[in-house]
Amino acid sequence: MKPTLQTRRKFLRTSMLGAAATWTLPVFLEKTFFALDALAADAFTQTVTGKDGTILVVLQMAGGNDGLNMIVPFADDAYHRARPRLSLPADQILKIDNYVGLNPKLAGLKSLYDEGHVAIVQGVGYPNPNRSHFRSTEIWQTASDADRPLSDGWIGRYFDNCCAGADPTVGVAIGEETPQAFAAKNPTGVTFSRPEQFRFRPSEPDGGRMSAEEMLFRQLNETASGEEAVAAPDGASVGAINGKTKSDLSTLDFLQRTALDAQLSSDKILAIARKSKSTVTYPQGQLAASLNIIARMIGGGLPTRVYYASQGGFDTHAGQINAHQRLMTEFNDAVAAFVSDLKQQGNFQRVLLMTFSEFGRRVQENANGGTDHGAAAPMFVLGGAIKPGLFGKCPSLTDLDHGDLKFNTDFRGVYGTVLDRWLKAPSQTVLGRKFPALAII
Amino acid sequence: MNMLTPLPAAKWNEATATHLLNRAAFGGTPAEIEATRKKGLATAVGELIDQRAKSADIPAPTWAHPRNIQSTRMEIKAAKERGGNFQQKERQVRMMEGEDIVDLRRWWLERMAKGPAPLLEKMTLFWHGHFATSVQKVRDAYWMWLQNDTLRQNAFGNFATLVKKMSRDPAMMIYLDLQQSRKEHPNENWARELMELFTVGIGNYSEQDIRESARAFTGYRIDMTTQQFRFAPFQQDRGPKNFMDHSGPLNGDDIIDLLVKKPACAQFIGRKLWRFFVEDEPSNAIVDLVAASLQAHNFEMRPVLREILSSTQFYSERAMRTQIKSPVQYIVQTVKLLDAPLPSPVVAQNAMRQMGQILFAPPNVKGWDGGKTWISTSTLLFRYNFANYLINGDAILPPGAPQRRQGGDLGFIRPAQLAEQIRREPIDVSKLAPTELRDKPRELVDRLSARLFQSPASKKETETFVQYLEARKPDMSDQTMRGLVHLMMSTPQFQLA
Repeated sequence: MKPTLQTRRKFLRTSMLGAAATWTLPVFLEKTFFALDALAADAFTQTVTGKDGTILVVLQMAGGNDGLNMIVPFADDAYHRARPRLSLPADQILKIDNYVGLNPKLAGLKSLYDEGHVAIVQGVGYPNPNRSHFRSTEIWQTASDADRPLSDGWIGRYFDNCCAGADPTVGVAIGEETPQAFAAKNPTGVTFSRPEQFRFRPSEPDGGRMSAEEMLFRQLNETASGEEAVAAPDGASVGAINGKTKSDLSTLDFLQRTALDAQLSSDKILAIARKSKSTVTYPQGQLAASLNIIARMIGGGLPTRVYYASQGGFDTHAGQINAHQRLMTEFNDAVAAFVSDLKQQGNFQRVLLMTFSEFGRRVQENANGGTDHGAAAPMFVLGGAIKPGLFGKCPSLTDLDHGDLKFNTDFRGVYGTVLDRWLKAPSQTVLGRKFPALAII
Repeated sequence: MNMLTPLPAAKWNEATATHLLNRAAFGGTPAEIEATRKKGLATAVGELIDQRAKSADIPAPTWAHPRNIQSTRMEIKAAKERGGNFQQKERQVRMMEGEDIVDLRRWWLERMAKGPAPLLEKMTLFWHGHFATSVQKVRDAYWMWLQNDTLRQNAFGNFATLVKKMSRDPAMMIYLDLQQSRKEHPNENWARELMELFTVGIGNYSEQDIRESARAFTGYRIDMTTQQFRFAPFQQDRGPKNFMDHSGPLNGDDIIDLLVKKPACAQFIGRKLWRFFVEDEPSNAIVDLVAASLQAHNFEMRPVLREILSSTQFYSERAMRTQIKSPVQYIVQTVKLLDAPLPSPVVAQNAMRQMGQILFAPPNVKGWDGGKTWISTSTLLFRYNFANYLINGDAILPPGAPQRRQGGDLGFIRPAQLAEQIRREPIDVSKLAPTELRDKPRELVDRLSARLFQSPASKKETETFVQYLEARKPDMSDQTMRGLVHLMMSTPQFQLA
């Protein structure tokens, strides 16, 4: 599976010597050519996705999603009593069993559930729940205990431990800033809102033709000019040293390597964005746009293992009913389009989409027609190869923790299951300890 | 005992003067470097160290005085509950929470870029990362300003005194839950971080030490009327405590004194200082030297800094031009080198966010790791594109860009009323690329390289820059010059100081 020394050298030469300038290969790259043939099999180093690997898509519902109005205990009187204005009428609920069902706006999700592509994990949370957006989001992003902050993200630790030498597009976050989940000792991954945005902007954009400035910029940052970037055969990073990471390089070498990676990723992403087109129509809205980009990157063969997208607006302290229903519609329609797209590509079996939110919301509605920060909430896991159904226990609406739902599944159990069974990565190493697995995969 | 060895006067030159300004300040222009070189080591270092915090230079923001956000928040809550009118008060709080913190960041960046005491600001930045506290939990820009002021007033002073002041700092007390700590229920958050992150480092204390220390710090409160620290004597646990190898009715200040005296503290602080000012991975030998200096000077920072900045070890070849500029250093140093204004407050805040270092909002109590963690493909590309913005102004967005909310190219939401924040004139490049040099490409490139990289560019890079000028001939306009400066800044080399 690993490329031979010959093909890799050829790839580098063509991409780097395209310009008329004479160059010698930078020292660190020369050294690595000879190391490549002697690549040791490192148990933790995964080759990136290439054509068939599994892909994780993490979807953050930011603000604290009201799980009770998403997967609704319609048969429970306590639900209707606690929410005179906000409870959804039982006859509108898309029933899953005699007790719970989905929000009426989630028809697409319900179809997917009936097809066997959705696992709903109920009552997810963690001990000593924190009700601050900032702190609780951090807990979910870093998979830390509530009282011991960590700096690195759980996905970042996965990259550090299992993806050494991988392509920098091993993680792709759609948005304006890199999520803390990606924070790693060896920062990797790429963040952009729009694919065409993730590139160097020369001083004078030349509208199509590459300017002299951009060509020379590429020279200075060790890559080709005017050439379509060719993805390395297995998607691994150019110049990967067996098992070693960029942090082992001197500072200048590290910067040069990152600059090269930035150029190559940027070209790859742009090339895919230009070539690929979804045949499915996506609805309006930022979530749909993000998932659309992700689908195109998957279809275009970007060697990414983890994608990250986010849907905002869930902090519904007041006037919740319209806002939350809008969010449910947006979620339903965007995810349904995304799944259709992947099915058309033939990639649905490879993808697992997992939602999370920093907390659920309180059982009792407040005086402003909304709900305040809560604790336990459901997580949704969708994919072509998952084991569907209801998991965990629906939390009691009367036996509460300071007015909030009590959790019965630690979210790190869900992360752990995804790490072990989907990404084939050692969850204990990434999460610090073992959590009980769920039968969702 | 081994001490840091002073640099001989004969070794003082342009390279060392450059290095001093890069690390002990925010970089120097060629004129500043030459002036520093002329002064000689002792004077140059002396002037940096003897800077005092004179608040008259750059006055505190107008809103930086005690005001009680909490009571306003309570009023809003009460108004909401009885269905009353709260919009105006809410706007007020939003301003206090949001706009003031943007202004506070603007204020500090200005102190760094234009103030007369760059080493003082750099040291304040060091302490800010050390005693990391975030406005996201404190939620009051005045208290963040107050902490910053305390750090600055004590930046060159005694470390133990500074730690004691931090234990009484309202922002810190809120951040680490110290103001909730009661005799019946001592809060351990501050006690733990005091040892793990502020003094001796992990592995040098026991869980019992944390518990006993927490008892010693009970009764610390914030007086909401004055917005300052006060003691609540009835909340204090004055009983005997067993902390490390000491027992007695220890109070918070006693604990701090005991911790600072530990050899582990000198090691811990010494390593942090060296990482911040010199190199990412100091050897144990170097850390021992710095620790010795700290102990010899009883943790008075002024003489310690003087020793560090005058030592051969500081000026080692290995350390020069190998430090990745932190995002804050990047912003300040770049505008100095361009002889251009700082970006507008909102743009500056967004840039800090995109590059991973937002003043007053470190990611958590551990502060910022620094070094290579500043650089990823995204942050590196951002630095290059941000340089474009700083040099060329707001020429990136197409003319007539829609004014409604959108994720702009520079990565921030752009409601119509913030358009002013984004607008920026292209720099006056005639200062960097004078007309008489424009038909002498090689000389021009050398001159600019000296200014921007502070060392000759590599042969390959020089050739590339000259190629750019050749390709643009006969156009030697300001636009071409700005393109050249941008190209030079869009390199790995430019990230180093």
